[in-house]
Amino acid sequence: MSIKRSLLSVPLRISTLAMVFFLMLGSQAFAANPDVSDSDEAVAAGKTIFNANCKSCHKLDQKYTGPALRGVSDRRSIDWAKSFIKNSQALIATGDAQANALYKEYNNLAMPAHEFLSDDDVMNLLSYIEYGDKAEAVVEGAAGEGAQVGGGSGVPSEYLTIIVAVLVVVLLLILIVLGLIISVLTKYLNNQKLDEEDDEFINQKFDVKKLFKSDAFLIIVTALVIALVAKTAIDGLYSVGIQQGYQPSQPIAFSHELHAGQYEIECQYCHTGVEIGKSANIPSANICMNCHTHIQNVGGKEGISTEIAKIYAAVDNNQPIEWVRVHNLPDLAYFNHSQHVAVGGIECQTCHGPIQEMEVVYQHSTLTMGWCIDCHRQTEIAAQGNEYYDKLMQLHAGSKDALKVKDIGGLECAKCHY
Amino acid sequence: MKFTHSINLVASFGLAFGLSSCGASGEKPGYEFAPQMYHSIAYEPLSQIRNEEEGGWLSTREDEKGEFYNSNPNNPHGMTMREPVANTVPRSNNGTLPYRLKAFELEKAALIENPVEFNDQVLAEGQQLYIQYCSTCHGLGGEGDGKAGEVIGGVANLKGGAYINLPEGHIFHVITAGKGRMLPHGSQISQERRWKIVHYVKQEIQKQ
Repeated sequence: MSIKRSLLSVPLRISTLAMVFFLMLGSQAFAANPDVSDSDEAVAAGKTIFNANCKSCHKLDQKYTGPALRGVSDRRSIDWAKSFIKNSQALIATGDAQANALYKEYNNLAMPAHEFLSDDDVMNLLSYIEYGDKAEAVVEGAAGEGAQVGGGSGVPSEYLTIIVAVLVVVLLLILIVLGLIISVLTKYLNNQKLDEEDDEFINQKFDVKKLFKSDAFLIIVTALVIALVAKTAIDGLYSVGIQQGYQPSQPIAFSHELHAGQYEIECQYCHTGVEIGKSANIPSANICMNCHTHIQNVGGKEGISTEIAKIYAAVDNNQPIEWVRVHNLPDLAYFNHSQHVAVGGIECQTCHGPIQEMEVVYQHSTLTMGWCIDCHRQTEIAAQGNEYYDKLMQLHAGSKDALKVKDIGGLECAKCHY
Repeated sequence: MKFTHSINLVASFGLAFGLSSCGASGEKPGYEFAPQMYHSIAYEPLSQIRNEEEGGWLSTREDEKGEFYNSNPNNPHGMTMREPVANTVPRSNNGTLPYRLKAFELEKAALIENPVEFNDQVLAEGQQLYIQYCSTCHGLGGEGDGKAGEVIGGVANLKGGAYINLPEGHIFHVITAGKGRMLPHGSQISQERRWKIVHYVKQEIQKQ
């Protein structure tokens, strides 16, 4: 009996231990107020409310703009949470110690009031906060890995290299085989009886000296050299006054590839003059600070990056940032950005090239007069919805071709030179 | 005979490769045909040459400075642009006066009505402006999911309950003066354009 009992009791004890262990695990991860429901409906309803109103500042298990929320019903009373969520500023004004400490900890950043939430809404929200999406971080990590695996797409270029290598090997093999055939044939013919002419033909040596001295060779080489020199000289002359490819390094290593490419910030956000004035304008430091007040380093690193610190230094000391101008249109030509971008509806990239891929900006186009004129000859007027062009369109209606810039003075000298 | 021949050869090669380095690349802007016609005599707002010696080799200036020297000695940092004189009022082309409410006067601002009349064209312009100036953080649909916004954090979901019923004057004031983690955008966007954005936010994004 006693043996039986002890045998039975072993697994019993293990299961009890396991239960206690898991309970403790649970209590370590978070504790929730027993009033908060853990039903699926409440969690789902809370999730909708959370995503619409809280997500941009709060995460469940991680400090973000605001504190991590899980466990809040244990840290604070339900009533406190309700009044803070509904109107945090009112609660702070009553002098509540916890609310004021929190407000101070997060740099006096006020949380918007959510008075439209009913008590039931807040309870559902708390259910989601305590019981929702526990595996969030793990799922995100897995998704990230998946994306990385799918990212490699260099297969076609690899194939190309392999094909080229195989071709080279095959050609070399053919060359070797041909050489072997020649030597075998020569040996064979030397053993045969031949007349003198054929014998001489077989045993002739390749005379390098003779070739160098031959007229044909000299003429060809001289012509080639003259052509090369002339082409270099003419190309050189044509490149005078053209700054295509100019890529100066800037005082701050600002990357258009990161800002315009990766983060898809529209050009006009910083270059505010482009639709309303002659120049697109270089943004002043306060525009940088719109984001860089909060973003102090790249790639999620801690501390302040040395490049971003230069913006802070410029703002603190009221010093201008002396950017190096890349596009220097000669003073003899007039150009207006707003006419081209706002009226003509031309994309920035048409003239400036793939800016969103440039780590350091370079001059993409030649900016020569021929380049301007070429575009004026081909571009149709964007007359749609612009009553300025109505009369011109009427007058032009009889023509076979569309109304182009060249037809309304786009080739006139005084349009740009005055 | 042979000596002069080789000199000619070397000279022509030198000329060719000398000329080939006239173009621009990297840090080098390249050479110019007619520098005096390329460089502005008037002060330029976006370019400045502060070196007084620059272009001295072709200078005909009376003050004996270099031909290309172009920097306003009377202004701080040699800049051309200056801040407007204190207490002056800029004239706008449609007669609107500058917006004068301070950042903390949000409640007063909420009472202001949108002076820009609403029509389809204003809505289209507002959408364009919203994409240019707001979508970076607030996202195309206004849900606070713009790419830069995700890095900054704490971007308002314009469709969220706390924001959806805000008056137009409130939205205008926040664009102008900033609120919470959002910084003022008044210097970037003109008043009229800000009101057009407000129309788009109210009529399209917060459509109920």
